[in-house]
Amino acid sequence: MGEYTEELLQELLPLFYSRLFPCNSFYRWLSYGSSATFKLRELSFTLLGDIYIRYQSFESMENFSNELNKHKPIKIDIGAIYNHPPKYKTQIQKFGPVEKELVFDIDMTDYDDVRTCCSGTDICSKCWKFMVLACKVLDAALREDFGFKHMLWVFSGRRGVHCWVCDENVKKFTDEERKAVAEYLFVKKDGHKNILFGDKIHTSLRRALTIIKPYFNQMMFVEQNILGTDEGIKKFLKNIHEEIRIQSEEVLRSVEGSEARWKVFCDYFRTLSQKQSIPKIYKNTIEELMLLYCYPRLDINVSKGINHLLKAPFCVHPKTGKVCIPFNPKTVDKFDPATVPTLTLLVDEINKYDQITKEEEMADGVNSSKIKDYKKTSLLKSITVFEDFLRNIERELKQKRKPTPMEF
Amino acid sequence: MDLGLNRRRKQQKVIPDGLKELYPHDLNFFTVPPSSEISLSEFEDLAVERLNVLRILAFASQKPVKQFGTEWKNFVYEELQKQNLKKFLRIIKSSGSSNPSELDYQARRADHISHFILRLAYCRSEELRRWFKDRELELFKLRFLELRGASVQQFLEINNLHYYPINEDERDELREQLIDSTGGLFILDNTDFYKVPFSDVPNLVRNRKVFVQSGYAYIPSFELVTCISNIYRHTLSENLIYAFKRMPLLDDDRINHLLHNLNDAYTGKDYSEVNANKSEIQVGNLDKHAKDHYPLCMRHIHETLKANHHLKHGCRLQYLLFLKGIGLKYEDCMEFWRQEFTKNIDEDKFQKQYSYLVKHCYGKVGSMLNYSPYSCVKIITDSVGYGEQHGCPYKQWESTVLKEKLESYGLRQENAIEISEMAQKGHYQLACGKYFEYTRFKENKNVINHPNQYFDESYGAIKREEFE
Ligand code: SF4
Ligand SMILES: [Zn+2]
Repeated sequence: MGEYTEELLQELLPLFYSRLFPCNSFYRWLSYGSSATFKLRELSFTLLGDIYIRYQSFESMENFSNELNKHKPIKIDIGAIYNHPPKYKTQIQKFGPVEKELVFDIDMTDYDDVRTCCSGTDICSKCWKFMVLACKVLDAALREDFGFKHMLWVFSGRRGVHCWVCDENVKKFTDEERKAVAEYLFVKKDGHKNILFGDKIHTSLRRALTIIKPYFNQMMFVEQNILGTDEGIKKFLKNIHEEIRIQSEEVLRSVEGSEARWKVFCDYFRTLSQKQSIPKIYKNTIEELMLLYCYPRLDINVSKGINHLLKAPFCVHPKTGKVCIPFNPKTVDKFDPATVPTLTLLVDEINKYDQITKEEEMADGVNSSKIKDYKKTSLLKSITVFEDFLRNIERELKQKRKPTPMEF
Repeated sequence: MDLGLNRRRKQQKVIPDGLKELYPHDLNFFTVPPSSEISLSEFEDLAVERLNVLRILAFASQKPVKQFGTEWKNFVYEELQKQNLKKFLRIIKSSGSSNPSELDYQARRADHISHFILRLAYCRSEELRRWFKDRELELFKLRFLELRGASVQQFLEINNLHYYPINEDERDELREQLIDSTGGLFILDNTDFYKVPFSDVPNLVRNRKVFVQSGYAYIPSFELVTCISNIYRHTLSENLIYAFKRMPLLDDDRINHLLHNLNDAYTGKDYSEVNANKSEIQVGNLDKHAKDHYPLCMRHIHETLKANHHLKHGCRLQYLLFLKGIGLKYEDCMEFWRQEFTKNIDEDKFQKQYSYLVKHCYGKVGSMLNYSPYSCVKIITDSVGYGEQHGCPYKQWESTVLKEKLESYGLRQENAIEISEMAQKGHYQLACGKYFEYTRFKENKNVINHPNQYFDESYGAIKREEFE
């Protein structure tokens, strides 16, 4: 079928919803073991022509599936679980959100001041590394610092990632708790002062540094070449504290090439440190720079509020045609946004598969049409990730709901 | 009366013996409402006293000094002392629970009851709840910080807060992490760390001020106050909403009336700003205003000034601030003062000795602070020396003197008797309200809390009527 273009969307979406969208798993996820939960969930649709319908909710999987096939939304957003089915919102007096996953949104555009390879909506394998680091750092912090277990990581379809924390207790978080977690995981990006943490480095940031370090030189100085240009040097110096800015510039300009410049800067800084001629609060400048460039740049407003909507996994991004697929954070290094299946690719794969099986069936007379369509495509891998995630949640729910033996 | 808003009223009387069980500690989470009977006047007094404590805190927190720092604390204590809020001073500064005296128990009781009265008065709107909650939290924090030694742990135990310091093994194991991740100055081996759910200390977590692991925050003992007051904030928020919902069950008009006025009194209507739309107050009209719209205390001072062309210091302060509050412009006030005083003394002496206070009251000299006119509570509780004319007449004057004065102002005999009897019983502000009714010939809807409020209700009402 060839390259995806936006014009194809209208033509391909019906097929996508009828044969590829994993409606069943999606329903299982948002039910959390109880169909009553699904009914209370706000889902909103964006239809072709930017028609936005909020506060939709569905009685059952069939109902949801039918509506999907009927409306063929170009985007689905997931909102909160409410005290009443959102579709009856106007008929209910005290309508309000009660639960929601804790969500994180990281978008490449927030890295525009530290990436030189692309800008705006473009991404490439070089700058994707910012996302790789964001995912690793955040996933580790959520697990170790907060003890969260059920994270769903999703490619946002173009140039970012989403993370859904789905633990039972987390869904019940108040806005205050959400805010606490979000801001704990947020390091302000603009300007040097905000990132200063004096002579001590918080354990959580230390862990982030251990994750970032192995990537840092290659990524920032070879690939992004941030010290390669005059402009780059100037930008870099803004983050160096005034007292040593002039000498730092001299040091940087004494050699050629980004990597070499970083090396001489580090040497120079370490010598100063050893001589103890750096004020205590600037002691950790090198670590601060690493975090400044590579620490996850969260859009924390998305995380802070219980009623913030976020795009659902398995949507198709209308501009790129790519599916918002879940991925495994443990193997995020191997994730390549360039190879994320597009709508056109998936349709080609189905057709090809159908073609082959038809020929085979003709040959040996076996009916294989029971095979789920997505299993014929490169969507399979991400659906497996999603299923694993669901199984973990369901296992825990089962254990919790097991009746405790009665005592006499 | 029953502040618990239980449907069935308990008739149980407080016996001093019971106080021991009721109030095992100076600090109270206020989870159990009082169930004892109190008189209306005690009800009112306690409410007003606590309100003044909270106002002092509000005022202190606007000062450019560190909250809960030494300077801040000293200011609060001085103010409490000045305003004669002894019980509260006692309960804030005493160090916890060891060897309480009878006075301590009385103070604890006052603390308990007054909190619940204000809770009712301040539960009615989001804005009121917020103000009250913020102030009560400041009070709680201050008190918690003043706890010494074992009384902290005692407080935790009394309130079923199961926070215990982590043991030494755990502390050694987490040594590096605790040093790296704990904000503030401390020596690890001298500091106890408490392991608490992270949601108990959202602010410490948010600012990455503590070590966090598996959903638990490890807080140093000096941050325990943050944690405990956060819990208090949550319970108080819930309780205020609860009180708000149960409010309609309170069917005593007198109390409702009183509560209603208490919260009006909060909005800092402290009359410290010279209100622009009131500035049509002319010196020439002051005699008439005094007759028609002044409360008794101010009318008396005004008349004293007119008769003697002199006032003693206490009077001068009380009256000048009142004049500022009713909207008399600084220049006009100075002129008025000069006119009166220079009838006895020469211009030079006036400038040297008496003009200063006018400038001072209007914030033109000295600390340039904008002084607020005195409230009734301040006036009532101020000490008034022999031969001084300030203070609250209902409190200061003999009842025959009061009765005669009122009659000379044209009140009917029976009304004058009624008022002086109220004053006799200590209901000064209620007496003041009656005086309002009998001189203005209309109902006094709000309890008189402030001489400037009195003036506003009297004069302002006329202005409003004229306008309409
Ligand atoms: S109650 Fe207030 S206004 Fe009335 S006389 Fe006493 S102090 Fe003055
Ligand atoms: Zn790029």
